Amino acid sequence: MNFLLGFLWAAFDTRNEQDVVCRLKRHEPQAMADLYDQYGKLVFSVIFRIVKEGGVAEDLTQETFLRIWNRAQFFDHEKGALGPWILAVARNRAIDYLRSVEGRLAQRTTDFGPAREHPSDFVNLERDVIQSDRARLLREAFAKLSPNQRLVIEMAYYEGLSQTEMAQRMKQPLGTVKTWVRTALKILRQELDEVAPV
Amino acid sequence: MNSRDELSDLLELYALGLLEEPERSRVEELLQSASPELLARWKEALETNAILTAAVPLVEPPPSLRQRILASVGATQRAVWKWAWAALVAASLSLCVYWGEQARQRGQQLARLRADLESTLAQAARSNADLEQLRKLLGFLNAAETRVVSFGPQQRMPQGRVLLHPSRGVALIASNLPPAPAGRIYEMWLLKKGQAVPAGLFQSSSDGTAIHIHLTPVPLDVKIAVTVEPESGSPEPTSTPLFIAGL
Repeated sequence: MNFLLGFLWAAFDTRNEQDVVCRLKRHEPQAMADLYDQYGKLVFSVIFRIVKEGGVAEDLTQETFLRIWNRAQFFDHEKGALGPWILAVARNRAIDYLRSVEGRLAQRTTDFGPAREHPSDFVNLERDVIQSDRARLLREAFAKLSPNQRLVIEMAYYEGLSQTEMAQRMKQPLGTVKTWVRTALKILRQELDEVAPV
Repeated sequence: MNSRDELSDLLELYALGLLEEPERSRVEELLQSASPELLARWKEALETNAILTAAVPLVEPPPSLRQRILASVGATQRAVWKWAWAALVAASLSLCVYWGEQARQRGQQLARLRADLESTLAQAARSNADLEQLRKLLGFLNAAETRVVSFGPQQRMPQGRVLLHPSRGVALIASNLPPAPAGRIYEMWLLKKGQAVPAGLFQSSSDGTAIHIHLTPVPLDVKIAVTVEPESGSPEPTSTPLFIAGL
């Protein structure tokens, strides 16, 4: 019975999310309210974790939702995963801000290219991946990482540092940093594979 | 690629915008192939990134943020917000008065800006979105480090001013800028060292005025350009700039 209820609830959430996206495409203001009620806290939390300033986080959260509002028409409401898309947009806004403040854009000698956030990238993903068992397992696995492995993952996700920049920041050889990144991602992936065999 | 793990590593870093050359080019080539195996890894990479990005301590945003965002898209106000809105109007008008004093001391240029702002503020009373823009604009004008650049005075259209602040960002005030045609939108760009960085989309109002604010720190030697782009915006300019302004 619980399984059935969970299935029905997930189906309801999916339909609800599709409805929100359709209304966003029609630029219905109430759709923005529904979207904010569902993702506002998470988006603000992600941005605040990265920029660490409340006022800036508010501005960037607003910018994130306006970007979603302006680009919703390119989002596939049937196959798209709204949560991962919003999170990518939010992270990118915050990382762009960090890079500007720290002047890292001007210092960069290598072009890394933009982070991916076009709506067309976020199709056929698990729609509720953020709330899934995989997410819980991955968070548990994160605690198993060594301090250096955890640090490089945090620098990648929450500071937007490339491996070269990490090596400079940590005063470690690039090869060492790459090993930490690779090992950390492998440990995390192994946990996910236990519930998502391919 | 040597292994499935290596491919997944590269895809995750690529999706985050952190992959350096030559690996970045290798991944882009692989993505062109769109093989089922690769697409499966790509999907997993985006999911992993979403999960890790979301693995943050939850922080409650201030209640005012919701109203601020909804106001920016013209959502209907609640009664309580109407009072807050009225208070905000009063506060903004008070700031304008205060600014009148400041502007006189700063000279003729800022005095003209203040007049523009007061005029625009009167129009913004009908729009929360405009009011929010003006609140930010006041912040620019009130900051000692703000630099003002005029553009297009010798042309019939468009013309206006750009306000640059090293830590706040860029504010554009334009007039004689007719609304972009259907399916098109204005996009602002930051030009530096031959590169154009997107700085947000905006639309002008029916009277040809526009205010656009980009809240990201900028170097003062950056130049500002505006182009007409498809409604979703573009990663780089696809049309000739309507104007370029800079110190």
